[in-house]
Amino acid sequence: MLEIKNLHASINEIPILKGINLTINPGEVHAIMGPNGSGKSTLSKVIAGHPDYTVTEGRIEYEVNFKKVDLLELEPAERAREGLFLAFQYPVEIPGVSTSMFLRAAFNEICKHQGAEEMDPIDFDEYLKKKMKLLDMDEKFIGRAVNVDFSGGEKKRNEILQLAILNPRLAVLDETDSGLDIDSMRIVADGVNKLRRKDNAFLVITHYQRLLNYIVPDFVHILYDGKIIKSEGKELAMKVEEKGYDWLTGAKS
Amino acid sequence: MITKTNSTNIIPDIEKHGRDLAKNSPQWATALRQEAASRFTKLGLPTVKDEEWKYTNLAPITTRTFHLPAPETAPILKEELFAYCDKSEINIVLVNGHFVPEFSNLKEIPEGITILSLDEAFKKTTNLAELLKKQKSLNDDAFVALNDALVRDGVYIEVGKKALIKDLIHIVHVTDTKDANAALFPRNLIVVNRQAEATVLESHLGLSGQSYLANPVSDIFLDEDAKLIYCKAQNEGAAAFHIGTTRIWQERNSQLTSFSMMVGAHLTRNNLNIRLNGEGAGSILHGLYITNSDQHVDNHTCVDHQTPNCTSNQLYKGILTEKSRAVFNGKIFVRQIAQKTNSYQLNKNLILGEDCRVDTKPQLEIYADDVKCTHGATIGQLNEDEIFYLQTRCIDRNKAIKMLSRGFVDDILETIPNQSINTKLHKLLAPTFLGEK
Repeated sequence: MLEIKNLHASINEIPILKGINLTINPGEVHAIMGPNGSGKSTLSKVIAGHPDYTVTEGRIEYEVNFKKVDLLELEPAERAREGLFLAFQYPVEIPGVSTSMFLRAAFNEICKHQGAEEMDPIDFDEYLKKKMKLLDMDEKFIGRAVNVDFSGGEKKRNEILQLAILNPRLAVLDETDSGLDIDSMRIVADGVNKLRRKDNAFLVITHYQRLLNYIVPDFVHILYDGKIIKSEGKELAMKVEEKGYDWLTGAKS
Repeated sequence: MITKTNSTNIIPDIEKHGRDLAKNSPQWATALRQEAASRFTKLGLPTVKDEEWKYTNLAPITTRTFHLPAPETAPILKEELFAYCDKSEINIVLVNGHFVPEFSNLKEIPEGITILSLDEAFKKTTNLAELLKKQKSLNDDAFVALNDALVRDGVYIEVGKKALIKDLIHIVHVTDTKDANAALFPRNLIVVNRQAEATVLESHLGLSGQSYLANPVSDIFLDEDAKLIYCKAQNEGAAAFHIGTTRIWQERNSQLTSFSMMVGAHLTRNNLNIRLNGEGAGSILHGLYITNSDQHVDNHTCVDHQTPNCTSNQLYKGILTEKSRAVFNGKIFVRQIAQKTNSYQLNKNLILGEDCRVDTKPQLEIYADDVKCTHGATIGQLNEDEIFYLQTRCIDRNKAIKMLSRGFVDDILETIPNQSINTKLHKLLAPTFLGEK
């Protein structure tokens, strides 16, 4: 579904990613762990198409209708319409734009892209309310401006709500667990687990093993200094939890 | 200080026009016009050296000459006009400065209100000179004098004591002329008597691509405990000049809710002068401007707190695209006697074009010591993080910009105090970049 080949990327001419290789197939959950500054968030932003990052080498191939396309050639909105989703580490507040209006606009873009009929505001709000229940979110958020006056936990739930609404093929979760208490994390993880299918995939970026108790990955990759230095099964996360990163990074240097 | 331009008179035939107008007018009106013509000559046209006109260069107007257009008998604009107006509402329609009864709807005027064309009012009502003289103390400049001197028609509305008029009264000034040098000087007079209430929308529509000059003046008087919703919507033709002034005198406990929306014209100057002349009077001044191409919109407000315990609340928002310019100048006077004044002013601008420019200037003169006055101004661009966030949610960049810009003005649009006005203002928004398609 997604194939990252020798990906190098920089911001303001400072290299951050230094040769990432990663293949994600449908039905898989991949976790990326790594110490601060290793390039985890950069990877997620490059996949989503953030304009501040420049890809200097390598490519990302993404499968659309059984054909491989060059993901880096697509505008961020086109990537999203092709089923790519990024749950932000720091969801952006958008004053003046209501959650309901925003989500309906996003949802209808996908409908349009797939040649389906667009949903009117009344039907959409019903659909939205159902999905909100799934994440134990208060209906009052519907009319509020996107993420404005939301607590940290509410913002993260709102990201997963969007994931549920947009129903992507590949979802990248960037430190979705940061700032969440244990109850919120369980709700968020449950939400994600309910959305897991044979034909979609998840890339879970996290600092701690904690989230991976709830969203159990098929593969765990350790990112360090812009490269993946180790890839194993879910037990790798446990080792990191026990020993930290030093044994890996030390072994490398 | 007023600096005169080099003797150029933008209306060369001002005396002749005055004589023509006098044929049909009562003596006091003729006297008023004559006095104004000499006042206009004395004041002279302002230039950018004049502090009040520092950011608005009138050269495109002052280097030309204009004349009063001949009445055009059958303008074919009905459909466009009624796509905007609601036929069933009270409409007073003036085309090229002339009241047109067949386009107007004055059939079901509620009790307690008088609506006349100004021409008719000049003949029917007693001396309006007193009222006009009073209003002059609020703002007087060359363009007001010019309107005084050349006033031909307009609208006169008087809401009788305790009359509560819920229906919208819609004054529509339409310009549809092939005459590139046409100049129009409509005048509206609105008197809301004690404990009366009314809602007035004053629309200026240009269906002409000509570079005509519209120089309207509205004088409004609110007596004690009167309430008025007053909205001015300006959508002149793209090449037109709109130099307008609204002067509002408020007596004790009167409440004004105003909204100014400026989307049309090549060059706009919109003056709103308010005098709070009785304790407990309150004014809300909200405004919105959306500009494109090389449009220039200048909003000047002036609120004069003359008495204690009055409030004024201003919020003007603008979105500028391409290489357009905007000016906001908000003057607040708090006289020494005007203790316990509560005055608020905010001007916010969103710039979307690289070559846009905003000059915003709050101007507070406070002589009382127990007052609460706050003011602020912002000029900003859209946040790239917000745009990217929307992009990752399938919304392309242009749509994201539109959605965020809409979000920027939605709060002020929500304050439009009347549903029927709201509908019409949204019709004016539709052709701007914020519109649906």
